[in-house]
Amino acid sequence: MSPHDGFLRVEQVHKWFGDLHVLRGITVDVRPGEVIVLIGPSGSGKSTLLRTMNMLEEPTLGKVYFEGEDLTDVRVDLNMVRTRMGMVFQHFNLFPHKTALANVTLALETVLGLKGPDANERALQQLGDVGLQDKAGSYPSQLSGGQQQRVAIARALAMQPKLMLFDEVTSALDPELIKEVLDVMAKLASEGMTMVVVTHEMGFAREVGSRMLFMDEGLVIEEGDPREMFAEPQHPRTQEFFSQIL
Amino acid sequence: MTGTAATVDPLATDQTKPHRTLSDWYQDQTTLSLTAGVLGATSLSLLVIGTPILITTFGWVPSEKLAEAITSPAQGLLLWISLGLGLTGAALGWGTFRRMPNKAARETAVGGAVLGAQAVVLDVLFLWVRTGQVDVLVRQYFEFGLLADQGPRFVRAALNTLILSLAGETIGIVLGLVLAVFVLSRRRLVRAPARLYINFFRGTPLIWQLSFGWLGIVLALGLGVGPYLAAMLILGLNAGAYSAEIFRAGIESIDRGQFEAARSLGMSYGKALRHVILPQGVRRVIPPLTNEFVILIKDTSLVFILGLTFTQKELLSTARDLYAATFNATPWLAAAAGYLVITLPMIRLVRMLEERLRSGMTGIVGAQ
Repeated sequence: MSPHDGFLRVEQVHKWFGDLHVLRGITVDVRPGEVIVLIGPSGSGKSTLLRTMNMLEEPTLGKVYFEGEDLTDVRVDLNMVRTRMGMVFQHFNLFPHKTALANVTLALETVLGLKGPDANERALQQLGDVGLQDKAGSYPSQLSGGQQQRVAIARALAMQPKLMLFDEVTSALDPELIKEVLDVMAKLASEGMTMVVVTHEMGFAREVGSRMLFMDEGLVIEEGDPREMFAEPQHPRTQEFFSQIL
Repeated sequence: MTGTAATVDPLATDQTKPHRTLSDWYQDQTTLSLTAGVLGATSLSLLVIGTPILITTFGWVPSEKLAEAITSPAQGLLLWISLGLGLTGAALGWGTFRRMPNKAARETAVGGAVLGAQAVVLDVLFLWVRTGQVDVLVRQYFEFGLLADQGPRFVRAALNTLILSLAGETIGIVLGLVLAVFVLSRRRLVRAPARLYINFFRGTPLIWQLSFGWLGIVLALGLGVGPYLAAMLILGLNAGAYSAEIFRAGIESIDRGQFEAARSLGMSYGKALRHVILPQGVRRVIPPLTNEFVILIKDTSLVFILGLTFTQKELLSTARDLYAATFNATPWLAAAAGYLVITLPMIRLVRMLEERLRSGMTGIVGAQ
């Protein structure tokens, strides 16, 4: 398959932070409609890999293709590319000086150029989809962690992206708030959204993931169907990892 | 319990004073604290209220009357009485506050000790001053009659101080914001000139900048810029360097995740800065920026070297002129009062803003 035909392709990507070799030649293909789950011990490079997909982290070596464009080409307008891929962060990163509604409308207005009423309408609908229409006027500090994360998801979805990147989005949440966020993500997956999910939620990985990648020391060591991998991990490192967390 | 001899069984203490009940003991303690409080308060009020009353009976002007009042035996008696009361109050309060049975009594004892100590310090200083040439000091610095018809002149001077500092601060804020953005650039070519500018203006004295800018640039080149405008510009260029550092720190204090969230939504660097980073950063820099403004207000005093015209003079130039005309330093005091009238409200504003910020108005969510 030529890289230009693919949806998202990370090709032979290396990343160094100083002397630290975080990604050591990773190639991943993401096909439309897939829910890729990235798991692995901390420091294995999962988040860094995810962040190279929308170029928040520039690969030191290698290519990232999205819908036929080479994102590592300096001539590519990354801002336009990023409107087609949403990202949700571990610490929500909501804009604290703006209401939930304004968090969602900001990029609609300043990036997509939507007019105020149109942006509001789309944002309210998106907040409704994550069950937070009545919180539109609240500031992030007035919302629970789970609600904040759902606003963050709505903020990303309002751009109507083709791909969603989730970076350990439940890791900073109190246990009882995790489910409401996972439910939103599961619903999104069932609607056919292409997703790449870095997570420690093994239940979610098993139930929602269509493909699972196990990473260790900057490499993808094993990949496959999540249920099969949980049942019969092949690589010794994978077996060891599962034995430690399950 | 103190003073109990080692031979006496401590458990038998209450039997050694059979005539005193527990309630008497309690009563004594609170009476002691009240005594300390009253002594401390009296000694301080005797000094700070008694002295002006006594001076008023002699007269504040001319200075001879004032000097006479200060050196009078009555004032000496007042000071010695205040000193005695203060010492007693301080000692009593200090010695008893730990044993007070309740919070109110304890606070009264501490209050008496503190007020008494303050009075003692001031009394000793005052008594020491009285051993010197009071008449010379008062004639030089406290000839209030000289100021009688200078009111409008000082009001205009204060206004000029305010105009100069406000103009300088405005230029400084605009310039500082631009410089801060440059200094934070990833590109060294953009960073370096801004850093050079900031380091130069922070690293050289303002008085040098004013004199070189005025004499060396404006006058020598014959630019035709007046001293008032030149003063505003140079003060602004200087304030810009300091504001830039404040803005830079403010922007850097915003969590990186804010920037990443904005960029991941497709916002450009500029849009992220304008809509996400600066609105949060600006709130945080308001207290240090106001602080900077207070410093700038005082720094306007250095523009005297530009040779402003009569109506352009600010507070310190005005005081200098009056000093030169009368050979009396009382106008210096008037200038200090003028600066305080402007700066004290600003200092208070800074504290209010800091408290509001601390109360969590701009808490960064999810950034911990």
